[in-house]
Amino acid sequence: MISVLRLSLPLGLWLASFSAVYGLHGLLCSSRWAAPPIALSERALLIGATLAAIALQALCLLILRSPRWREPDPRLRNIGLALAAVALLAAAWTMLPVVAFSSCL
Amino acid sequence: MNALRRHRALSRIWASEPGLRGWFTTVNHTDLGRMFLAVAIFFFIVGGILAMLIRAQLASPRSAFLGPDHYNQIFTMHGTIMMFLFAIPFFEGLAVYLLPKMLGTRDLAFPRLTAYGFWCYVFGGSMMIFSLLAGVAPDSGWFMYPPLSSTIGAPGINSDFWLIGITFVEISAISAAVEITVTVLRYRAPGMSLSRMPIFAWYALVTAVMILTGFPPLILGSILLELERAFDMPFFQVAAGGDALLWQHLFWLFGHPEVYIIFLPAAGAISTILPVMARTRLMGYGWVVAAAVSLGVLSFGLWVHHMFTTGIPHMGLAFFSAASTLVAVPTAVQIFAWIGTLSKGRPSLHLPMLWLLAFFATFVIGGLTGVMVAIVPFDWQAHDTYFIVAHLHYVLVGGFVFPMLAALYYWMPHFTGRKTYFKLGNTAFWLIVPGFHGTFLLLHWAGLLGMRRRIDTYESGQGWEAINLIASISGFVMSIGFALVLIDVVINAAVAIRGSRDPWKAGTLEWAMPTPSAPYNFASLPQVTSREPLYDAPDLPVRLARGEGYLGDPSRGRRETLSVEIATGAPRYITVFPGNTVLPMLMSAVTGLFFLGMLLKTYWLVPISAIGVICCALYWAWSLGGTTREGALPVGHGPELLTAGEVADPPGWWGSIFLLLANGTFFGSLLFGYVFLWTIAPNWPPPRYAEPGLDVALAALAGAGLAALGPRLRPSTGLLLLLPGLGGLAWAGIRILARVPDPTAHAYDATLWVLMGYALLHLAVALVMALFVAARRRAGHIGAIAGGEPRIARLWSDYAVLISGIAVLAAALPGWLT
Repeated sequence: MISVLRLSLPLGLWLASFSAVYGLHGLLCSSRWAAPPIALSERALLIGATLAAIALQALCLLILRSPRWREPDPRLRNIGLALAAVALLAAAWTMLPVVAFSSCL
Repeated sequence: MNALRRHRALSRIWASEPGLRGWFTTVNHTDLGRMFLAVAIFFFIVGGILAMLIRAQLASPRSAFLGPDHYNQIFTMHGTIMMFLFAIPFFEGLAVYLLPKMLGTRDLAFPRLTAYGFWCYVFGGSMMIFSLLAGVAPDSGWFMYPPLSSTIGAPGINSDFWLIGITFVEISAISAAVEITVTVLRYRAPGMSLSRMPIFAWYALVTAVMILTGFPPLILGSILLELERAFDMPFFQVAAGGDALLWQHLFWLFGHPEVYIIFLPAAGAISTILPVMARTRLMGYGWVVAAAVSLGVLSFGLWVHHMFTTGIPHMGLAFFSAASTLVAVPTAVQIFAWIGTLSKGRPSLHLPMLWLLAFFATFVIGGLTGVMVAIVPFDWQAHDTYFIVAHLHYVLVGGFVFPMLAALYYWMPHFTGRKTYFKLGNTAFWLIVPGFHGTFLLLHWAGLLGMRRRIDTYESGQGWEAINLIASISGFVMSIGFALVLIDVVINAAVAIRGSRDPWKAGTLEWAMPTPSAPYNFASLPQVTSREPLYDAPDLPVRLARGEGYLGDPSRGRRETLSVEIATGAPRYITVFPGNTVLPMLMSAVTGLFFLGMLLKTYWLVPISAIGVICCALYWAWSLGGTTREGALPVGHGPELLTAGEVADPPGWWGSIFLLLANGTFFGSLLFGYVFLWTIAPNWPPPRYAEPGLDVALAALAGAGLAALGPRLRPSTGLLLLLPGLGGLAWAGIRILARVPDPTAHAYDATLWVLMGYALLHLAVALVMALFVAARRRAGHIGAIAGGEPRIARLWSDYAVLISGIAVLAAALPGWLT
């Protein structure tokens, strides 16, 4: 089961962080959501969340490469690393709009 | 024992009952796979006839062939049948039939569950067909958007048929998905590690996990909409705090992955068939697996691209536009791997290969128009026009029907044991493919000229007449082609000459048996050392028939197969399968009464049939396992293994894990809906929040603690803690409901009723399971004393505790925050 979890983790993490950033965007744009308690703009919060998501994906890639956590089967290991790289790129690409688009229009 | 005697002995053990009774009592995957496929083809014919009625109506302007009421029912049922009653069940049927044979095992993990799923599909599908014949079929479009599908827009029973019938059918999809997941992970030939699995099994695994996580949002949406229609709980009514957009989110959370749930099995078939047709091996196996997994997960981040015109902020649109373009990358990786495979091999143009070429031409066009509609400004222009109709048909027919026709012709010698002798299929090919493009290519243009979807007629002079006439004529040409395929299949199955065992010279294990296959698949189970065992050991079928593999000795006189380690494929334990029984069909019939009671609003029938289902389920579980400890038994080739009843992780434990995955997704979708309404829906906040007091918090906390601790102690003490623990949680839930006594008052109140209802239901399930295991222990069942049954019950009680705690917290949170 650990092998299957290693394969599922990177893109599962992407799905969770993508949904979380989209959810955060929804919350920040909601009319009944109070202003954030810290002195940061909506965009700064979204960029922060995106950077955290990208950092998590990079960490996931590093963990899957580390001798302690690496998959013993070489073919599955390569597949897992490819998926981790895909997830890292996916996080960067799909959350890119936080720097370019108006948030709540 | 020689091969013939072994065959006779195994056939006696594994065969279905003779005659008509066998149809209703079989639990054998070969029978059920064929039955699934036959019923799915029947529904494809019905859906196809409806499509022809649509094309007849639209062939000319101002046509009076169908009135708008009938037209609405027909296009709704066409989409519904093709998506829910043909495409998914056809994949299920193919997987049910093929997977055990490809994986080198004797049956699926839960044979009775396969049968239960099949009968739910038949009864649920019959319900839908009845509605069509009775003239009360759903008429709000296959995606049933409220308020059109609410009682405001559809006051009759039509929408109820969709919501209840499709939910009934989805039991079948969830059953099959649990079945496939556990089978692929735990029921393979010894030595078949994950990296040696046939590529189709990878695709089936990804698809099954997608069904487990993709279908629950739709099941939830259907339940909420039916609750609104039946009991006025206003989840989608804006005036009472609901929001119609919630339905769209829930529907497309299912709907977009659904497209890939349909495409991925087809891609699995292509990855299997194409290398054989090209007389080589699949290029980039690892890349293809990575692409399939990527596609499966990325497809869950695309759902909003069906909602680009609903007024979502630009940044939200851009997230999903980016994700939608991204998904083209793993799709392209697969396409290039297939092209690479073709280029390194020596393709031969047999009929399956022709269908694969048709797939390439059609699916690439559908994929490219998919990228076009992923771009927001283009989508705004093309949304709800015939451009979308054309795009989706290119993707679904090109990406599913054509590869499935390739699969049909590729595996037909396996199904029938006969050569594909008559060549009517080639003529059919040349009618279907040009007919398809003649129908749908020009409809892109009609869409760009402004022809809207779902219109029952149109005025002349808009430039659509010639397009529609050509599309209709081509549609009928395509239909004639499909009719020829049917005739071809029937004739070949009935009277073609007997064929050889492996007519395509393939390397996967389904060809390592005589065809049509015996009910036990393999006389003994193979030891696998590569991904294409037949290429490396051409004499393997003979050695297996001689009993030189595992479990080749039928002397124990029962249905046995091996369960293996997930990653390595090392043998772990012996699974003893149950025999033929009418129980699955009976239980699905009683389940049908439950749904029928809801549909006809004869609510007295609902609790009675629910009790009936529980009784059937308890009898089902009670009849598994035995009271004798057998210890380790020989399986051949040295190792001695325990039976599943004596190990900590029996098949039921794995089945529960994946069923809880689906269940957790359902609960997560419910929480999503709650947060969505709370943050987005107009007319919030409600008049008052529930604001549970300290008594509720204490009861929930104490209950959760006791219920979590109980199953971890000695059985007798554990039960004494578990029961009050579950009771405390239930009391907390009931107290919260007492604070929102009218679920029709506001969407908030209605949501709390569903949340608490879900929690109470799971607390009841945990209670029943704990009592059941205690009773089994008293009766001396090994599974309850030394096996994994207490662990399964603990899994469910832990889940009940977790979701009850979250439900109580979710109920309290808005009051605390405001």
